[in-house]
Amino acid sequence: MNRRITLPLALLAAAASMAAQDQVTVFRGARIWPGGAEPIDNGVLIVARGRVQSVGGPSTPIPDGAVVQDVSGRQITPGLIDAAWCHGAGANDGNEQGDEVTPQMKILDALDPQDRAFARARAAGVTTVQITPGNRNVIGGLGAVVKTFGETPQAMLLKDESCLRIAMGAEPSMGNRAIRGGNVDSIYYRRPTTRMGVVWEVRKAMYDAKEYMERTIQNGAPPPDPGKEVLVRVLKQQLTVCTTARSEQDIRTALRLAEEFGYHTVIDEAQEAHLVADELAAAKVWVMIGAPSADRIAGTGAADGAAPRWSTLGMLAHRGVPFVVTTGSNLAALELVREASFAVRFGLSPRDALDAITVRPASLLAVDGRVGRLAPGLDADFVLWSADPFDPTAVALTTYLNGLATHD
Amino acid sequence: MKALLLAALAAAFAPCAPAQDTLAVKAGKILTITGPVLDNGVVLIQNGRISKVGKAADVEIPWDAKVVDASDKTVLPTWVLAHSQGGMRGANEAMQNVPFIDIADAVDPASTFFEDCLRNGVGTVHVIPGNMTLLGGIGMVVRPFGRTVEDMAVRTKSGMKLSLQPQAGGRLQQIRKLRRALEEVREYMADFDRRKKEFEQEKQAGAIAADKEWTEEYDRQKKPVIDLLGKKLKGWLFVPSAAEVDEALRLAQQLDLAIVLGQNVQKAIADIARFKAPVVLDENFEFYELDDETQIEKKVCTARLLADAGVPFALSLAQNGPGAYPWWQLATCVRGGVDRRTALEALTVVPARMLALEDQLGAIAEGKLGNLQVLNGDPLQATSWVETVILEGNIVYERSKDPRLKYLFAEGPDSKKAAEPPKGDKDDRDGKAGKAAPGAGNEGR
Amino acid sequence: MTRLALLSVLGLATASALAQQDLLVKARSVVVAADTVLTGGELLVRQGRIAFVGSEIPADSRARARLLDHADATLVPGFVLAHGWLGQEADLAERANAFTPELRAAEAFDPFQDELQALARYGVTSCALAPSSRNVVGGIAALIKPGADCGTVATDDLFLKLSLVAAARDQERWPTSLMGAVELLRTAFTAARNPATANARDLLPLRQCLQRARRACIHADTYAELIAALELSKEFGIEPVLVGAAEADKCLPRIKAQNASVVLAPLAVDARQRQLELPGMLERAGIPFAFTSQQPELLRVSAALAVHNGCSRKAALAALTRTPAELLDQAAAIGSLRTGCAADFCVFSGDPLDLGSRLLAVYVGGVRCDRRSTGKTPAVLPPRHPTAPATVSSTVEEHR
Repeated sequence: MNRRITLPLALLAAAASMAAQDQVTVFRGARIWPGGAEPIDNGVLIVARGRVQSVGGPSTPIPDGAVVQDVSGRQITPGLIDAAWCHGAGANDGNEQGDEVTPQMKILDALDPQDRAFARARAAGVTTVQITPGNRNVIGGLGAVVKTFGETPQAMLLKDESCLRIAMGAEPSMGNRAIRGGNVDSIYYRRPTTRMGVVWEVRKAMYDAKEYMERTIQNGAPPPDPGKEVLVRVLKQQLTVCTTARSEQDIRTALRLAEEFGYHTVIDEAQEAHLVADELAAAKVWVMIGAPSADRIAGTGAADGAAPRWSTLGMLAHRGVPFVVTTGSNLAALELVREASFAVRFGLSPRDALDAITVRPASLLAVDGRVGRLAPGLDADFVLWSADPFDPTAVALTTYLNGLATHD
Repeated sequence: MKALLLAALAAAFAPCAPAQDTLAVKAGKILTITGPVLDNGVVLIQNGRISKVGKAADVEIPWDAKVVDASDKTVLPTWVLAHSQGGMRGANEAMQNVPFIDIADAVDPASTFFEDCLRNGVGTVHVIPGNMTLLGGIGMVVRPFGRTVEDMAVRTKSGMKLSLQPQAGGRLQQIRKLRRALEEVREYMADFDRRKKEFEQEKQAGAIAADKEWTEEYDRQKKPVIDLLGKKLKGWLFVPSAAEVDEALRLAQQLDLAIVLGQNVQKAIADIARFKAPVVLDENFEFYELDDETQIEKKVCTARLLADAGVPFALSLAQNGPGAYPWWQLATCVRGGVDRRTALEALTVVPARMLALEDQLGAIAEGKLGNLQVLNGDPLQATSWVETVILEGNIVYERSKDPRLKYLFAEGPDSKKAAEPPKGDKDDRDGKAGKAAPGAGNEGR
Repeated sequence: MTRLALLSVLGLATASALAQQDLLVKARSVVVAADTVLTGGELLVRQGRIAFVGSEIPADSRARARLLDHADATLVPGFVLAHGWLGQEADLAERANAFTPELRAAEAFDPFQDELQALARYGVTSCALAPSSRNVVGGIAALIKPGADCGTVATDDLFLKLSLVAAARDQERWPTSLMGAVELLRTAFTAARNPATANARDLLPLRQCLQRARRACIHADTYAELIAALELSKEFGIEPVLVGAAEADKCLPRIKAQNASVVLAPLAVDARQRQLELPGMLERAGIPFAFTSQQPELLRVSAALAVHNGCSRKAALAALTRTPAELLDQAAAIGSLRTGCAADFCVFSGDPLDLGSRLLAVYVGGVRCDRRSTGKTPAVLPPRHPTAPATVSSTVEEHR
């Protein structure tokens, strides 16, 4: 059972009214990482009305009447973006297990803005996350990109229906049983119970959706089916699929299915991406690496038998495979910034590692018009760190979301 | 598979040459811990002990010394773990009251735990039974290197493990059982003394021949507790939470105790200060505490609380997860507000003192054992790796030859054919595989 | 044998004779509604309804009426429960299917069960029997009343019951998750709104909700469930009654803005402070709220605790009487003692919100019903509801 945090609503209301006025705030003296560019020492960040007004070096002009905060010795990064964040809903609420194929389910309906995980994310400098249905269904449903703060899921929403979750591997078949005589009274007596069953469910769903699509185009439109409508959008490349695939075999299967039906997919978790780097490069897919700090998978995902290596990120970078760093479903995952610091430990440059949790996920999730960088016109989502964010002794002093301090 | 593994381990972890009389380490930076930080210094080790430490200009290197060039690196003493259950199968004997069993019979020199120790720069480990027993047995201090337990031994009979961890009966039951167990041995001793006195009296009175001597000795199973009660053997008492601190204080008046703290002790810091002795800190010392009424979470760092109360503490390492890395535990201290110096001491001089080995370990100073680690950066940085480990003047680990790191950093499918260290399940000696590692948020499950 | 038969015939005759005669009820104070109190009040009850109040009572009726003088007592409208299961929750839960809009709670009503006695004994004179919260769309609630001998169904066509609580998310059938439950509701209401599909029989109750011809009661407790319920209501233009609403304190402005009302679970002495203060907060926010309980003895305690923690006495008493009647759209018939209302009232030795005062008598339709019945069933069973033909068996059945 998730516990809740009582939001200091009075504080937020006061803060909200402050931002509503044309208050211009200037943060001066910190090393600023604007995202996607070299850091600016002794930088100036100007924020107003919930957006960034300008970012620059020490000589940036400061508008009259601005409130200046001296943050010398600190560092500022864009708010971090976790593209595979597996929290925010109740324990059973992220998987609609009444059926294995539920493309029309929306995780947005199950989000609890008061879930402690959101507060912890803010305390760790994460301002935007993508949440999707879980991996217990073969086709789980629609994800959403939300900010880590807001009164209702709709108020937090940055992008609705951001992807369709499909899961490969052992998890979707867990809990299902074959009928062995006697009572057939549980919904879990069903396919799939094996990996090939999982793949078959995807194929069947796609075949049915294709048929549905073609019948709609010709005469005799079938009754509207919300699940198939979603899959039709996938087939038409209007909706990206996020496929959970950890082991080498599952990654290859995921790529094969995408090619077979002609849809766009992102590979999520990808612990054994180092073994299929060439195929990933050839398929030109994005890869979300879950918990790169871990050398083992903890949780139900361990059943896939994937063995992570620490060379994965280096190899992907070397082969030019676009990737982002996430926390993901591995129970051994650390906070996102710590995962990225381990990426640096394993050889990635600090600049690349920071981009992998800011600029690149923003681009992958197609929200780079709003977040991911500190640039004029973008949302004022940024984090004030006590030191270099990849220094393990650094803490996120204050996390700003839409210009408001949401954690300090 | 095992033979291949041992061969690979031998390559990484064997001394590069027969035991040298003199080893000189040229270091870009030396963290002596008890003395100043030295830039461009030299450490000279002779016959296993540090004979000289100083700036390069002040230390003359003998012509026949083996030289380790770490002039762009940082050198510090190897870490000391004051309390650990790594390195053996089954950290807890199922029987509760077994003070006589000795950990020396359970330590497995081939365990991957000791491999991890060297990889992480740990040079001394106090291996002792776990927390799930009442009187768990006798521990020993080992160096994580050697073919046999005898090779590894630094000091045997380091102390007896006692635990106030509530078992089936609950907290009060456990306290009562421990008191009862100690009381029974006291009664035994009293009875023994009474019978001995009777023997002497009868001898005096002539009922027993004058040349007959009292031959009975203390029951070997009870002897360790007798030593404990006589303060000849140190007790290592596990105090699981704030609620047991009172009983621990009471026991500390009767016995020579080292206190090993559990996680939830934040409410009893002032009482812990009354021990007036260093304590061993739980591996999990940064966590969230939930207020039941308001449902608001607050981050707690017990290391900070102890530091503020002036209580010296020794750090523990976790079995898995980031807490298994010393640099992570040190950085967590500093993140929580502990100063860097106290954090470094928590893995060096404080545990050495608790093990009564501070004259030999925990610092780079003349006379101490030649236990050094060479890092390619600051010990509290995530990017720092242990390059070399030297134990008593012998190079026992070099990162460039580490097979496990080679495996983890292997590129491409061909590397699968190389010597594979155990993946965890079949060859797992410590039962580490499959254990869910705690996440950074430390859900208080 | 003959004497027994004779006596029972006489008894029945007397009872029917009594039922015909007007009843003049006197008490030290009569609470007509939460804000209207008559001291030295009087009511004239005729054929189960309140015919006249106080000074309006014509003299000749006063003379002919049978007097019921509760000298020092306070009369209060009988308590109304806006949502209850009467211990029959298992019979009200269709477990195989979460979507059962056509089912009617009245079909499961057992007029002879003991719970009705408990209701009467603690002052409850009307209760909305609702389908279980284990179904996402449970069906139609019924208004039932206890009686001297057996309960009756006053109307079988109250609100549509919906549920988003954890009980509705059964791991053994669809939906297992909150998003599945929300999707089910959204799809169903969308179909009910869509002219192409709206004519399906099972969607009729939902259509009525969309047309504001029927109330929707949604059981939602946690913040996530409440927000989901409010979002759905906004999307489909419904002003819901939120049952449970334990975490309503976190979204009061939203509840107010959408004109939603709340039916609260009972307060206990060891409840969290925020729960005890919730009725006061709802009152100050202008959100109508009622108390309900599966244990009617907790109702007065809830009201008293609410007053103790910031709620006004008026709102607390209204939460037991008029407000639930309004939430059920039955305010013309129950919840107050105005002319035309049913003669459902409780007689207290003092202020009902003062836990020291005793409940002396409870009347439903002018007939005392808080004493145990004689154990005899009436010769003719009452009709199931006023408009349906009496399905009657003339043989007297064995009382169970």
